[in-house]
Amino acid sequence: MTRFPGRGRFWAILVIAFFCLGGCVSIPNRIAELPAEQSSVELDSTPFYPQERYQCGPAALTTVLSFSGVDAALDTITGLTYIPERKGSLQSELLATARSFERIPYRIEGTLSALAAELTAGRPVLVLQNLGVSWYPRWHYAVVVGIDVATGKLTLRSGTDRRRVIDSEVFLRTWQRGSYWAIVLLRPGELPARPDRDTYLTAVADFESVAHSQATTLAWEAALQYWPRDPLALFGKASVAFQQGRLEEAEQNYRLLLADDPDMYAARNNLAYALARQGRVTEGIEELNKLLGRVAADDPFREEYEASLRELESLTGQ
Amino acid sequence: MLAAKKVVFHLVSVAVLLLGFAQFSVAGVVSSGDMINAELRGERIAKVEALLAEAEVAGQLEKMGVSTELVLSRVNNLTDMELLELSTGIDEQIAGADIVSVVGVVFIVLLILELVGVTDIFKSF
Repeated sequence: MTRFPGRGRFWAILVIAFFCLGGCVSIPNRIAELPAEQSSVELDSTPFYPQERYQCGPAALTTVLSFSGVDAALDTITGLTYIPERKGSLQSELLATARSFERIPYRIEGTLSALAAELTAGRPVLVLQNLGVSWYPRWHYAVVVGIDVATGKLTLRSGTDRRRVIDSEVFLRTWQRGSYWAIVLLRPGELPARPDRDTYLTAVADFESVAHSQATTLAWEAALQYWPRDPLALFGKASVAFQQGRLEEAEQNYRLLLADDPDMYAARNNLAYALARQGRVTEGIEELNKLLGRVAADDPFREEYEASLRELESLTGQ
Repeated sequence: MLAAKKVVFHLVSVAVLLLGFAQFSVAGVVSSGDMINAELRGERIAKVEALLAEAEVAGQLEKMGVSTELVLSRVNNLTDMELLELSTGIDEQIAGADIVSVVGVVFIVLLILELVGVTDIFKSF
């Protein structure tokens, strides 16, 4: 205790106390823990859009969009993502805007090695950092473009710095306070470096709500190549075919799904519609009756199935 | 302000219209979005709920200074799930912004945190 007499001790305690407030949380992933085969990489051709005040979100998004081949002006992106009164941009609006430009935003796992894997695959990573502390947050979006495994430094397009080099330990602390949020933009048909099935399929389903059918088909097909015969991906592909009026293809795919799992009720329901639209209403009704005989009372889609039956039956009445 | 009301009115009236239809039950195809939300997120969002959320979010964006002509395309870009999330209050969401206006004791504390590598506020300016 004599090491910190008087004022010295006061300051030491203060420093330690604030260090703890700032997050004495152990950082689980460090440069040393990267896989041995990971080498340094820097995506030097990543463009740079120096941000206007507060507008790190639009700048970071324009950077990754433009890198992935989208011709979007910073002003346009600012108009779609910036909220004047909040002086910032929401994560969900960054995702939504990326989708509206035909890119699939994919949230990567929040580890340094996942981040490095994406850089190696040639994709810069948009990250959310809290440059401050939990009680004094300074949220900031930036784009990681490089990692140097020898020095443990990361390179970012950040704010008004074209090439901001930052120690990975400091970066990890700021990133941790941003809940390790990080996304890459996939072109339809592209898979992330380390595809996680649920994350990818959810990303594509979200993408589908704004995208063209062509782009969505590519995305489902990429999933089916990686996870052959995946029921949700195949269901997605069949549904796009149905929407585009490729009814025979839709029918085939729904039948494939039912061959694998006769109790995939949504597939049978949609098969009924695909049949009805081809003029085979009676066959469709048969499928729905088969379905309703088996579906549980608390099935989330039961009401839809019942409504489908009424709808198809009304067609035969005409 | 008048324009803001217009957008909200438009969205609400669509929602109310659909509410009317909902009584007849909207038959149809199960979309892959619904399917995946149910299977992977354990969520089902009624169309009406999503439309009301859309109107709410549109109203909030207008109030926060987003221009009227952009509000509609912005809410259209969001998924139902995102609209529901935002409708509970954009104020509560994180908004990346990075401003620094630090005074007094907070400045000293942050400076210490910066020196020990916890924060990264000052170097970026």
